[in-house]
Amino acid sequence: MPENDRDLTRRPDPDALLALAEKGSRGKLTVFLGAAPGVGKTYAMLTRARRLKEEGVDIVIGLVETHGRSETAALLEGLEVLPPREVSHGGRTLTEFDLDAALARRPRVIVVDELAHTNIGESRHPKRYQDVEELVDAGIDVLTAVNIQHLESLSDVVAQIAGVPVRERIPDTVLSRADDVLLVDLPPTELIERLKEGKVYLPENARRAVDRFFRLGNLTALRELALRRTADRVDDQMVDYLKQNAIEGPWAAGERLLVCVGPDRLSEKVVRTASRLASGLNADWIVVSIERADRDSADSQAVRQLDETFRLAEQLGAETRRVVGSDFVEEILKLARREHATQIVIGTRRQRFPLRLLRRSLPDALAERASGVGVHLVTDSGETPAALKPVRKRAWPKGFGRALAIAAGTVISATVLGVLIESFIILQNISLLYLLAVLASATLAGYVAAIAAALFSVLAYNFFFIEPVGTFTVAEPHEVFALFVFLAAAFLAGGLASRIREQAKAARRRATATQALYDFSRKLSGTADVDDVLWATVTQIQATLRRNAVLLLPEGEDLVLKAAWPPDTELGVSDMTAARWSLEKKEPAGSDTDTLPTSPFQFRPLTSPHGVVGVCGFVQNAKPLEINEERALAAILDQTAIAVDRARLSRESLEQAAQLEGDKFRAALLSSLSHDLRTPLATITGAVTSLRELGARMTAESRDDLLKSIEEESDRLMRFVANLLDMTRIEAGAINAKRDWVDVADVIRSALERARKYFPDREFETSIAADLPLMRGDSVLLGQVLFNLLDNANRFGGEEPVSIYARKEGDEVVLSVTDLGRGIAPADLEHVFEKFFRKGKPDGRSLGTGLGLSIAKAFVEAMGGQIKAESPAVKRRGTRISMRFPAAEADLSEKERG
Amino acid sequence: MTVERILVVDDEPQIQRFLRPALGAAGYEVVEAATGQEALKTAATAAPDVIILDLGLPDMDGKDVLANIRAWSQVPIIILSARDRESEKIAALDLGADDYIEKPFGIGELTARIRAALRHRIQMEGAEAQLSAEGLSIDLVRRVVTRDGETLRLTPKEYDLLAMLARHAGRVVTHKTLLTSVWGAAHGEDLHYLRVFIGQLRGKIERDPGDPKIIRTEPGVGYRFIGDED
Repeated sequence: MPENDRDLTRRPDPDALLALAEKGSRGKLTVFLGAAPGVGKTYAMLTRARRLKEEGVDIVIGLVETHGRSETAALLEGLEVLPPREVSHGGRTLTEFDLDAALARRPRVIVVDELAHTNIGESRHPKRYQDVEELVDAGIDVLTAVNIQHLESLSDVVAQIAGVPVRERIPDTVLSRADDVLLVDLPPTELIERLKEGKVYLPENARRAVDRFFRLGNLTALRELALRRTADRVDDQMVDYLKQNAIEGPWAAGERLLVCVGPDRLSEKVVRTASRLASGLNADWIVVSIERADRDSADSQAVRQLDETFRLAEQLGAETRRVVGSDFVEEILKLARREHATQIVIGTRRQRFPLRLLRRSLPDALAERASGVGVHLVTDSGETPAALKPVRKRAWPKGFGRALAIAAGTVISATVLGVLIESFIILQNISLLYLLAVLASATLAGYVAAIAAALFSVLAYNFFFIEPVGTFTVAEPHEVFALFVFLAAAFLAGGLASRIREQAKAARRRATATQALYDFSRKLSGTADVDDVLWATVTQIQATLRRNAVLLLPEGEDLVLKAAWPPDTELGVSDMTAARWSLEKKEPAGSDTDTLPTSPFQFRPLTSPHGVVGVCGFVQNAKPLEINEERALAAILDQTAIAVDRARLSRESLEQAAQLEGDKFRAALLSSLSHDLRTPLATITGAVTSLRELGARMTAESRDDLLKSIEEESDRLMRFVANLLDMTRIEAGAINAKRDWVDVADVIRSALERARKYFPDREFETSIAADLPLMRGDSVLLGQVLFNLLDNANRFGGEEPVSIYARKEGDEVVLSVTDLGRGIAPADLEHVFEKFFRKGKPDGRSLGTGLGLSIAKAFVEAMGGQIKAESPAVKRRGTRISMRFPAAEADLSEKERG
Repeated sequence: MTVERILVVDDEPQIQRFLRPALGAAGYEVVEAATGQEALKTAATAAPDVIILDLGLPDMDGKDVLANIRAWSQVPIIILSARDRESEKIAALDLGADDYIEKPFGIGELTARIRAALRHRIQMEGAEAQLSAEGLSIDLVRRVVTRDGETLRLTPKEYDLLAMLARHAGRVVTHKTLLTSVWGAAHGEDLHYLRVFIGQLRGKIERDPGDPKIIRTEPGVGYRFIGDED
């Protein structure tokens, strides 16, 4: 067994290897760490940059503050410097690091100074370290510099040492994830020397703090912090190396801290302390909060405080958990066992005297029940938990007047009733009336009203009913006792009643929310159209959260605004950038987030099982979402994502069906074309072979009929081929309509002659106006058009004659061919001029090629005319195809004059 | 000898127009039907000896007409079809059609098919025991195959294949029919068996296996045995 154990521990830790692999595709981050301004970080960084440049590395200066120092500026000589971005802020034009330009330039290595800098105005990220992270993520190596005082976990220590608050902070994870940290060290005495010589640049507002800050004691302390932090890192790296290479370790045996936090200020301090402890112990640490299962955490201020604490913990590199339970101690210990925590860190506050007697504090209880786990207590520094005060204050006045009024009202009613029935019942029973009043107040207006009603009742009962009546004095001692019992009963009853009322209210609220969500999901399930889904969503967000919302879906490369409330909402450039960010990184962006917080919208990705389908943005009004609103929003977005996904799938399946339909249509078309070509060919081949092989045995009439059929089928084939060729010419754009003078009547006559030859059984009627003007056009094309129309009319025209009209209307020549067949269905009417459109069976047998009308249309349009179909034409029957061409009368008269 | 009656089912008047005089001149009596319903009625009343059936009919699917007739009659049926309707042809043959001919066709081709079909009907009544083709002779009773008097050594499967084709001399036999009758119902789709065995068989019986005259390939459909009488 020991053999096996060692083998197991010897195997490289998969997590360590994974972290190493992830680093592979990322750029390398090198941080130059200093103890204080002026130690020469920028100088060291630029020296390194020059050396890389000399080695031929593609290196660019993204941003360096030389502060007008010539030594530093000289180092920039010969290095490519990225032009900064100009930002107007408060009327002034300032310069800022240009992240997009850097990403577009894509050097191997980039130098970005001042890691802790806070970006001004409309930047993608509020902090420069986030810019740097994006560069590293994009695979660019970054050289950067920062002072130890800016580290989040040390900020309170530094503030204590130096006596100045640190405003610009960076999460410790930035430093711990850096591939290299170089300590730029300068002994404090030398630094002070340099400062006195004016070699250290300090911002305007820091000048005043100089004397306080640059004291030997301070600088020594900061230097120690920087040295220690760098040494810790070296230790970490060694441990990582040992783990990756499966070297049996002297490293600390997996210390794990469980850090308990709650919705109070102290928790932030607990987190910072735990962070330092964890890095000192090389331990993983988990931050956990426990929420009461039976309490609706509607107190948004507390929730926000807790969120803040969690954000801090994540920045400092902790894992975070939120647990729901009622027995805090039990839950914490359970989690500690599950996570193999070795130490529990918890904050404790000195409790006021009576409370301390009444119940044991959580840390005490933990310490008592925890076994094998260390408990660290972080004490309050004495400051009042400021965050808690306003919460109470805010909750108090809300409905306070109303509660008092209700309490007074019920007590007065009870008193009046008491006075009325006093003579009928005994005194003690009147007190029951007041109990009723207290219960009523509790039910109607909650706990405050219940207490007020209890107090009012005691006073009223005393004043009106207890001897001596009309005073607040009590004559009998047992009456005093009765009063106290009554008061206690009222408190208890009122508390219970108000609690029930609160629960009922919460249940009702939840029921309403559930109902709304249910309605919404039902609405969504009924719609297959994406636009309807999106519209339902923005209106739902408006109705539930009373916030304006927008929805964007990706279309190809772009992200497109698809629905908005109000509908005329427009998005600015930075809004769109935030939305795109949210889509790409699958995380919230915009207002109240770390990315582009200047946008008025907060964008959330719509995530379905198939990935991110779009982005929803909503306006962050002054106050952020409360926890139940947050839940409602998450549910709405989930539903929407699924509905959009489903709508997209159903659209895709529709498209597939359409494609299938198209394939079927093409197959039918091909088979009908082949039928049209093959039938005349089969007839000709059959007739010819019959004549050759069996002709001798046939009668003369049979032979003659076979020859005639050969002739007719050849004609048919020829017309068909001619149509196909015409169509090919049209498709190839090769029709050249002549602009000759055309006598329309003449063209009609010759087309009719041809039609009579081909369709001898068909009757044709003509009506040509006597004053028919000439028109400009191509008589051959027009003749072909007319013949095609007559052919068509013959095919579909039933038994009745086909008529041809030609007349002048205004300055147009109008020609029409009308048949009295069954006509064309209105739905088909718009398609008759489409290529290969044909009525009837899908295989289109004996209904023509579907080319005639589309050729007619192309020819008519080539001659500058228009063509249209009407059905029914006459008396609910038939089809009329009419054409209009401009008349050429004016031109003609000119010609005559000339 | 009575004149054989042929029912021509086709809705194209032009086709009927040349088939009527041509088949008449070839010595057959022609009855016509332009629709499926008409075809079913005429097949029952006119007792044709052969039916020529176009699969594309205006009122019903030609295959339904075929299946309907096959339900009560073994009259030879020749399908008229287009070259691009391969699956339709195979389906019709599997439904019991005896042969097919592609449009456009020469009249000689059609009359040859009609003769083969009529001959088969006679064979059904008293089976022929001897067949010959290109110097090859097959004795279906003694299971002996000779070429120019010399006995050929065929494997049992090769013999079964050849006998199956020979029994349907002049007519197409589909891949599926060959496979299921020689190898069994489970091998109906194993086309590669056929390719291999037909190749071997041709190597043994054809004078020039590169230009087979006895077993002709009907692309995509099956094989056809061409005897001396065809």
